Amino acid sequence: MNVKQLPISRPGVVPLLLAIQAVVLLPLWFHLPSWITATTIGLLLTKWYLNHHQLQAPKWILLVIVLLCVGGVFLQFKTLNGRDAGIGLISLMYGFKLLEAKSYRDASLVLFISFFIVVTAFFYSEAIWMGVYLLITMLLILIGLMVLNSPQGIKGTKKIGKASAITLVQAIPIMVILFFLFPRSSTPLWSMPNDSQAGSGIDDTMAPGSIGALHTFDDIAFRVDFADKVPSNSEMYWRGLVLARFDGFTWHKEEHSPLRGELGLPREATYQYRVQMEPNNRNWIFGLEQLAEAPDGAYLFSDNTWLKRRRVTQRLTYSAQAYNIDFSQQGLSQHQRSIYLQIPDDSNERTKEWAEERRREHGSDEQFVSWILSYIHQNQYHYTLTPQVIEEDTIDGFWFQTQEGFCEHYAGAFVYIMRAAGIPARVVAGYQGGEYNPYGDYFIIRQSDAHAWTEVWLDGEGWRRVDPTAAIHPSRVEEDLRGQTSSRDGWLEEFGGDAMFEPPQGFLQDLALRWDAIQNFWSDTVMGYSKDMQFGWLRQLGIEKNQYRYLGYGLLVTVLLAGLIFGYWVLRATQKLDPVAKQYIKLLTRLKKKGVPCEPSTGPKELLKITRRTSPKLYARVAPAIKTYTSLRYRNKSDSKDLLQRLKRQVAQV
Amino acid sequence: MISAIRDKVSLWIDKRTPRQIQTVLKQNNIYILPTRCGWLMLLILVLILVASTNYQNNMGFMTGFIVLAIGLLSVFYTFRNLKGIEVRCHKLAAAFAGDEAVMPLQLVNASQSMRTGIGIGFSKKSVHYVDIDELSQASTELRLVTAKRGWMKVPRMVCTTIFPFGIFEAWSWVRSPYQLLVYPKPIPCPEPLIASKEGIEEGHHVEEGSEDFHSVRDYQPGDSVKQVMWKAYARERGLLSKEFEDHVGEQYSLSWESVAHYDRELAISYLTDAVLQAEESQQVYALRLPHVTIDKGQGMEHMHRCLEALALM
Repeated sequence: MNVKQLPISRPGVVPLLLAIQAVVLLPLWFHLPSWITATTIGLLLTKWYLNHHQLQAPKWILLVIVLLCVGGVFLQFKTLNGRDAGIGLISLMYGFKLLEAKSYRDASLVLFISFFIVVTAFFYSEAIWMGVYLLITMLLILIGLMVLNSPQGIKGTKKIGKASAITLVQAIPIMVILFFLFPRSSTPLWSMPNDSQAGSGIDDTMAPGSIGALHTFDDIAFRVDFADKVPSNSEMYWRGLVLARFDGFTWHKEEHSPLRGELGLPREATYQYRVQMEPNNRNWIFGLEQLAEAPDGAYLFSDNTWLKRRRVTQRLTYSAQAYNIDFSQQGLSQHQRSIYLQIPDDSNERTKEWAEERRREHGSDEQFVSWILSYIHQNQYHYTLTPQVIEEDTIDGFWFQTQEGFCEHYAGAFVYIMRAAGIPARVVAGYQGGEYNPYGDYFIIRQSDAHAWTEVWLDGEGWRRVDPTAAIHPSRVEEDLRGQTSSRDGWLEEFGGDAMFEPPQGFLQDLALRWDAIQNFWSDTVMGYSKDMQFGWLRQLGIEKNQYRYLGYGLLVTVLLAGLIFGYWVLRATQKLDPVAKQYIKLLTRLKKKGVPCEPSTGPKELLKITRRTSPKLYARVAPAIKTYTSLRYRNKSDSKDLLQRLKRQVAQV
Repeated sequence: MISAIRDKVSLWIDKRTPRQIQTVLKQNNIYILPTRCGWLMLLILVLILVASTNYQNNMGFMTGFIVLAIGLLSVFYTFRNLKGIEVRCHKLAAAFAGDEAVMPLQLVNASQSMRTGIGIGFSKKSVHYVDIDELSQASTELRLVTAKRGWMKVPRMVCTTIFPFGIFEAWSWVRSPYQLLVYPKPIPCPEPLIASKEGIEEGHHVEEGSEDFHSVRDYQPGDSVKQVMWKAYARERGLLSKEFEDHVGEQYSLSWESVAHYDRELAISYLTDAVLQAEESQQVYALRLPHVTIDKGQGMEHMHRCLEALALM
């Protein structure tokens, strides 16, 4: 290759490279620190200006800015080799490379690095529209490569866009097969530092009363599909974490230790399900109560919660089994009892006294629990997402004065009352309920389904789930919240349990569910494709061991097969005769039949000579045909259609 | 060691590349290998797959496999871009040693797909790229540097392409059956060469004849007695014959003798220059070399005959 013959000064090359770089960096601009975003945009504009005026940036200025940028990245991230720092740095260098690009090699380096930069954008999002973005970017990079390798630049071939699209269409089936066959690993190759990234979802602290308004987000927390049996919506308590320590204002997670091995309690398996969790940048993962065995890569803790070793920064899929656990044989140790009875001495005195008094009026713990629930049901307790803020003694304020709040207020106050009455209790945070999607046969659990409920320890029975929020009388639930989830307004009612199987109402909800089904397929089956799924279908094919070897064979076969198909296509496509050559061969065979000594290899000039010598009679008719043939072949082809028609006529007349 | 291998490879290529006027590029003479950019792309592909494995990022895998598929397809696209092209060699016009000879070539595309960025040259590093439309052809010229007078074989040419993506380079060798005649480098002689003194003197002796004295050569059986230079014979310089030719305007005789005392190559260069001078001043001239004699004449054809004789001396 002679790259001097392919300079980047050809028309259209630099503007196209700038456009490609802009598209490639576009998704990163929303995630990079703003000064890096601004710098890369500035570099693009500078290159555009320099190119427009045929200028080159002085080398030393470039060097100074590069050093400043490296310093800036270091100051920003305090490191150069973390994920975010690396992406920031490579984006800047990508911009600088194009700025100083002078030759074919620089330009092709920029284009090839584009492939990698595209991938870095997927570390931030793997949503379905990123798939569309991938195709568009790939198409643009291919067009860029074609223009760069075409001697006349963008003017050279009118068909560059079409050719790139054909390339992409042919590449996609190969990609799909490789995608499913390429061996996946369940563990990272090297450990990644936790990147500071805001996560949405449930916090490990709860401070009822401090929040004036709870915003409900419709963002999806996770999706669940059940293997066979499906619990009723009111039974769907998705346990996340247990908040046991109360400092008078805020509920905290208890310091706890993982259980080694099995939870040694008798239990009965209930529901089998698979969770596909959106990244929340936290360690905790959610499961249907009760939790016993932790999924792969997670631990089971003594308070029956799961924790993941690493923060969930990528979409996570895990399968689990729900149980009915019989806690009756488990005792509560003295230490545990002190934890679950702990209340600060110096606050919420009124509630404490009230609870102690009322407990004395009831025979057993269980009766007391029921009485408190009916107390909530019968008294003026309201459910609202916009309660008044309580300055101090938040529980007293809520329980006796405002009497309005959401699940956190009720759970917090209920546990406080239980503890004051000497009953071990704890707050459980997680999600409740879920929306059924009939198009994908799964449940959607959103951030707005976040919920807090409680567990009380009843001697002889163990931990019992109590949801005080559900005890609020339906008439006292804010009107627009009614019907959101069945649990909040139906404590005393019989649960029908069929609410979620009702067909979606209204066109928009229908559309939304269909769209979510597509998204779920994308994120669950395509983006969630993992070693487990790979080994799963291999098992169905009867391959139980040496999976990687079989995958290797599969890859090899794919590549060879693709080679064969395209090799055949290449050979065939050029063997196909064009219509002009067909006519010439027709002419040759006709003349041979008439006794003219010609061979298939005889050229037009020679043929003319031979005909003149051997059959002068034919010559008059052959000569014009050969003349038309040569002008079709070797002259400009502006009127080639007419000429071809004429050639056909002339050959037919011979 | 390396040069020995290179020579061996070169020999092997020559053996596989017959010298022919028309060479059609097809699967048995097209070679294909990744370019430097191709290796770079492989490196980036590996990086993408490692990063995707580490972050368990399926979009990254998708990108990587599209890149891999493009690389695979590129082999066929690049090969197909070159396949079926016919390279036609043409005769070369002679050139003077040290000058560039022009080698005309035609690239014929008899297929129905356009061929973009087809390069032809004497080495891959110095190819010239052309586009050839479907059912069309492109004419191009290659410059060939000449060094020594005489017949020169046209070096092996290479027809190459990196289109569409620059990841792979497909190429084919082409050898022209034509040879290039390299004329000697013309160098003006420090002393006047045109018409040796001796000849003019002898010419005066036969001033009345219809023939004019032209040059002197060794006596050959059959020469007329009148032609023998008896004066020279008397000086014991052997039997020499005088040559007489028809007088058409002024005429010159350029003879080897007049420059024989110079270095052989220099002498040839002097004569070459003299021929060019004579032709330029539209004179009739003859050329006498030790083994060839070109009778007096004029015009381009005559000049080329003289130059050819000098080139092949």
